[in-house]
Amino acid sequence: MKKVLFFLFFSVTISGASQTYFTRTGTTNFKASVTAFEPVEATNKSTTVILKTSTGAIAAQLFITAFQFRVALMQEHFNENYMDSNKYPKAVFRGEIADFNFTEVNTKKEYALSGTLTLRGVKKQINTIATITLDGDKIILSSRFTVAPQDFDIAIPKIVRKKIAETIYITLNYELVEKK
Amino acid sequence: MYYSKVKNRNRNYFLLICALLSVVSLKAQDDLMEELNDISKAETRFELPAFKAMKIGNLQSTKIAAKGDLYLYVSHRFGSVKDGFETFFGLDNANTNIQLVYSFWDGIQLSASRESLNQTYASAIKIRLAKQSTSFPLNIAFYGTANVNAALEKDRMPDLQFGDRMSYAAQFLISKRISEKFSFLLAPSYVRQNLQDLNEVAAANHNQLLMGFGGRMKVSKRVSINMDYAYNFNRNTHSIYNNPLTIGMDLETGGHVFQLLFTNAQSTNEPGFLSNAEGDWSEGIIFLGFNVVRVF
Repeated sequence: MKKVLFFLFFSVTISGASQTYFTRTGTTNFKASVTAFEPVEATNKSTTVILKTSTGAIAAQLFITAFQFRVALMQEHFNENYMDSNKYPKAVFRGEIADFNFTEVNTKKEYALSGTLTLRGVKKQINTIATITLDGDKIILSSRFTVAPQDFDIAIPKIVRKKIAETIYITLNYELVEKK
Repeated sequence: MYYSKVKNRNRNYFLLICALLSVVSLKAQDDLMEELNDISKAETRFELPAFKAMKIGNLQSTKIAAKGDLYLYVSHRFGSVKDGFETFFGLDNANTNIQLVYSFWDGIQLSASRESLNQTYASAIKIRLAKQSTSFPLNIAFYGTANVNAALEKDRMPDLQFGDRMSYAAQFLISKRISEKFSFLLAPSYVRQNLQDLNEVAAANHNQLLMGFGGRMKVSKRVSINMDYAYNFNRNTHSIYNNPLTIGMDLETGGHVFQLLFTNAQSTNEPGFLSNAEGDWSEGIIFLGFNVVRVF
């Protein structure tokens, strides 16, 4: 019996480890541009993502200050005036991929992705579609959803209101590898 | 693959594993966030800039134009507010400085300016040496400037050489954003004045050492109260000049920063205000001034 227990413990540990896929260099992009004005968009290339292939549980986080803008001054104002990055340095997502079955991902497939996005201490429920493909030993997850500044109590002063879109498009592109 | 392995095992074991896994996965709700934190890189993250503009008031801040950014600085220093209605509180006697700031390389900014006081042409360089981050506590920059006084007339001073028109300043700017709202700056400075009027400075002191202090306190996201001061170690007690003290505010509106200030120095150039601040706060001889900063 002892042998059996040992074997069980061992196998659970092994299987627990092999179910985790992750990345530290995920790309998260947002666009809040309004046509005819200076583009308001930035890319974060150091998003950390973790996915449990057995359950479809997914979590992601990124540092707001790591969003790179084309114009340095815009990046400074984004952090200082809109996102309060000193006070709220991270954005965190915690969610589930519905009916995720790891054996199916050999082909490109769309799944319902839902969860909670926490930004500036405010939580918002996100429901969207994620495309998941297996490329060699990498899982490629991409998705797109929209948010609005007021969802997270981001105040936009009158003088720039025309230059910042009311709907902000967020695009995700994550290449996950197995965590060993 | 995990699944194919399981199939080969005894069915009872499989059920047991499933039971165990379900316990594990219940716990996994919170563990997932912990695991995420564990794999997150301990990356160096830079602190947001300590100051909004390249100047605190008169003193240079550690801010440096980003590569490719062009800034236009227009500064005015009016006459003494003590003049009252005679000059409309100094508004009739304005010193105007127009300056262009550009960065060709990341962390290095160059500037050129012309000021009406003493018809001064100035060029300056500011170089970033360190940036405050999770792994280093301070912003450090070097600032150097050379000024040409074009107002000196050879007719009145026959022995005048070109070198006599020159004055220089070199500073180390060391700042720290201590909290989200409060930033502090120290500026050990050296000033070289090639020409001095002994009637004004009492005794010649061509080489001067100073310590500059500056700070800003944000009162809202886009407004801050600023102050800077410099103590001159080499000034003769009989000199007519004083140490410069500037109190002002920043008002940021996207692409502009308006800096409104009161100071006892007329010049906006470092050798000018560090050596030759002609006003005196204790006597009420102070000047209203502003800097308008526009980025292109």
